[in-house]
Amino acid sequence: MADQRRRAAPSRRLHPHGGQRSGEAASVGGSDFARAQRTRRRANFALFLGPALVLLACFFVAPVIVDLVLAFTDMDRTLAVTTLTLENFERMFTRDTRLLASLGITAIFVLATLGIFNVTFALLLALTTTAVPRALGAFFRAVWLLPRMSPSVVYALLWLWVVDPNERGLLNQILVHVLGAAPLDLRNNHPLLVIILANGFIGASLGMIIFTSAIRSIPEHLFHAARADGAGSLAIVRHIVFPALRWPISYMTIHQTLSLLVSFEYILLITGGGPFYDTTVFSLYAYRRAFENGQYAYGAALSLILIVIGVIAALGLWRLMDMRRLLQAPRIEVH
Amino acid sequence: MNWKLAAVVSLGGALTAAAFPAIAEDVVVKLWSRADRSGPLRAGNIVAAADTLNKMLAAAGSDKRVKIELNETNAKGYDDDSLDLLKAFAVDKGPDIFVLAHEWTGAFAEAGYAWNLEEHIKKNPELYGDIIGPLWQSVTYKGARYGVPQDSEVRMFFLNNDKLRKLGMSDQDIAALPAKVDSGQFTANDLCDLAGQAVEKGVAKYGILHRPNSGPDFQMLMEAFGVDPYDKAAAKLQVSKAALRSFYTWIKYCMDKKALFANNTSMSWDAIEQASFSGDEAAMLFHGVWRVTDQMKAFNMKGRDDYFRKYTWINMPAGKKGGKPTNLSHPIAYAVSAKSKNRDLAAYIVGLASQPYLNLQHAVTTNHTPINYGEQSMPEIVDKGWALVAATPMLKYATFMPNHPKIGQYNAIMFKGIQGVETGRLNAQAATDFVIDELQNELGKDVVIRN
Repeated sequence: MADQRRRAAPSRRLHPHGGQRSGEAASVGGSDFARAQRTRRRANFALFLGPALVLLACFFVAPVIVDLVLAFTDMDRTLAVTTLTLENFERMFTRDTRLLASLGITAIFVLATLGIFNVTFALLLALTTTAVPRALGAFFRAVWLLPRMSPSVVYALLWLWVVDPNERGLLNQILVHVLGAAPLDLRNNHPLLVIILANGFIGASLGMIIFTSAIRSIPEHLFHAARADGAGSLAIVRHIVFPALRWPISYMTIHQTLSLLVSFEYILLITGGGPFYDTTVFSLYAYRRAFENGQYAYGAALSLILIVIGVIAALGLWRLMDMRRLLQAPRIEVH
Repeated sequence: MNWKLAAVVSLGGALTAAAFPAIAEDVVVKLWSRADRSGPLRAGNIVAAADTLNKMLAAAGSDKRVKIELNETNAKGYDDDSLDLLKAFAVDKGPDIFVLAHEWTGAFAEAGYAWNLEEHIKKNPELYGDIIGPLWQSVTYKGARYGVPQDSEVRMFFLNNDKLRKLGMSDQDIAALPAKVDSGQFTANDLCDLAGQAVEKGVAKYGILHRPNSGPDFQMLMEAFGVDPYDKAAAKLQVSKAALRSFYTWIKYCMDKKALFANNTSMSWDAIEQASFSGDEAAMLFHGVWRVTDQMKAFNMKGRDDYFRKYTWINMPAGKKGGKPTNLSHPIAYAVSAKSKNRDLAAYIVGLASQPYLNLQHAVTTNHTPINYGEQSMPEIVDKGWALVAATPMLKYATFMPNHPKIGQYNAIMFKGIQGVETGRLNAQAATDFVIDELQNELGKDVVIRN
């Protein structure tokens, strides 16, 4: 904004009443300059914001429009549309017996993954890896980032091996051979726990990085001053670190809520949404309806609900976390 | 001099360019076939038929050649493959020839993607005249033939004799089982009692293993309890609530007896094969006769005698004492695209691929029953096809799946009910209610619900 104001100033000075030798010449020269400025502003706009806008239009706005249109059609497995109809919504609100259960599973999945792992555990990782010597901290962060760097399928296969109900599974090898306990079948008996753990272990690494960088940006002298004042480690965390993490935590909460609402990659790979519908979160439910039997229009209608839920969650959290303040222009300008 | 040289080069180039298409003019025929370990020659025979045709063209002095462009897909089953193929057709990326499970004939015919082959078949009796009559029923939709069956098969329970012997059954007891099943003395509950015993006594890790995904197999199980999926007169799918409840009650009974395994539907095919064959961990496997190939390999068996020492085959026993057993034959077929520019040529290639010699190679290498009467007396089937000869009497109880366009969806819903009961999420009544709800929601007027 400040830059724009500075750029706009010369054009005002060159306007007809700006004290030029000839008013007409000044007017012509001024309008030329203004036109050039406008052109440059447009060029800058197209150059710097254009690619982002094209990206937004193609991959964010267009899919929503396509989804909206499809939801009101009867598109089936042949991809043919024969009529516009409200039947998908009638079915969704009056006859779909699995819809509410799926929303419930989504709520548990999002809240648990977010609350336990993506924020809390991420925070714990950031605090512990910044409290230990730098090299050691960097090593542990790198270890936690490994799952994010490996292909999803490999990560999912590892989880399948961990929770394999046979004695071959890693968890059961430990339970049976080390602890002498009975083997567990987590995938069938506690499938929701499995997908929360699998998503949480990979999700925590993003928060860890963001929180670590926020902790690192706290001026060093504050820690020294606190120590000199006799503050203990917990007091430092409470009075110096936590206040500095307010915005990163708010941002991570909003970002991860939306991300978890629509992601089902690991769920599909590890449980396939099962057993039965036990881990079919809403996004996977829409996918299964659309692609397991080719009910594309119904899948689109279900996705529309997800879009609405996403928008409500984003706006609600935005307000709750007072994110507007984070994006306000700074009141102090450093020249 | 230079311009003369340039002219000569240009003329030479033009002549070469003009001559080349005449030397190698390929007519490309696209083939869509699911990569299926149990039938690689379904695609292979089309390629072989094109080779034969090319030899004929060469002999006739023609410059044209037919080139098969194979798209071998990796769908989990024929239902998934058909959904992918429907999408491919919808965006104009369909093949000229495709391999499909016969019950999808109606869906492709209704969508206008399968060509009505009735006239072609009638005009070419020398190509199709020897095909076993009843097989045509599997590719007939609304009175016309839209495909050419490539094989048929017999589904069954493979009983692992070693496990039964360990349970204390004598060879005579085991040998008497198939007849007891056929006479209705040995029922579906008896089957689960036996499989459950094997698990309870630690003889086998799994009682009965079945396919992990939706597919045709389960129809014969449901039929044993009176679920008849098709109302021929009304040309609609149907289901009886009472029969369906009996079927799911049986599944629950088998779960309680530990005959079925709660995680069966989340196992991969590989895991099921490993457990059934090389691992030798299952008392019974429910699948089709083509599995003989895998079993022979896994246990290094040399021939018929070795094989039947290890395995006994039975139909699905009746739901009630004195009832009839059930079986299912599930032909895989070739179809020609109605959208193809080369559909006549494609149909002739299918005709050539369906001749006894090529079809027999598929039949004997994968243990599928052949499609031509003539194949049954060919020396190869006598030598290598002993399993097919042994399985043929079981066809007495076989039915086909209906060629209704929505049978794939019907099957998928039934499968969800089975999965619900097996994983302990639904009891028999809840599974019945769930399936009825889903059928009504997804199939609407295409399904008739009866009490």
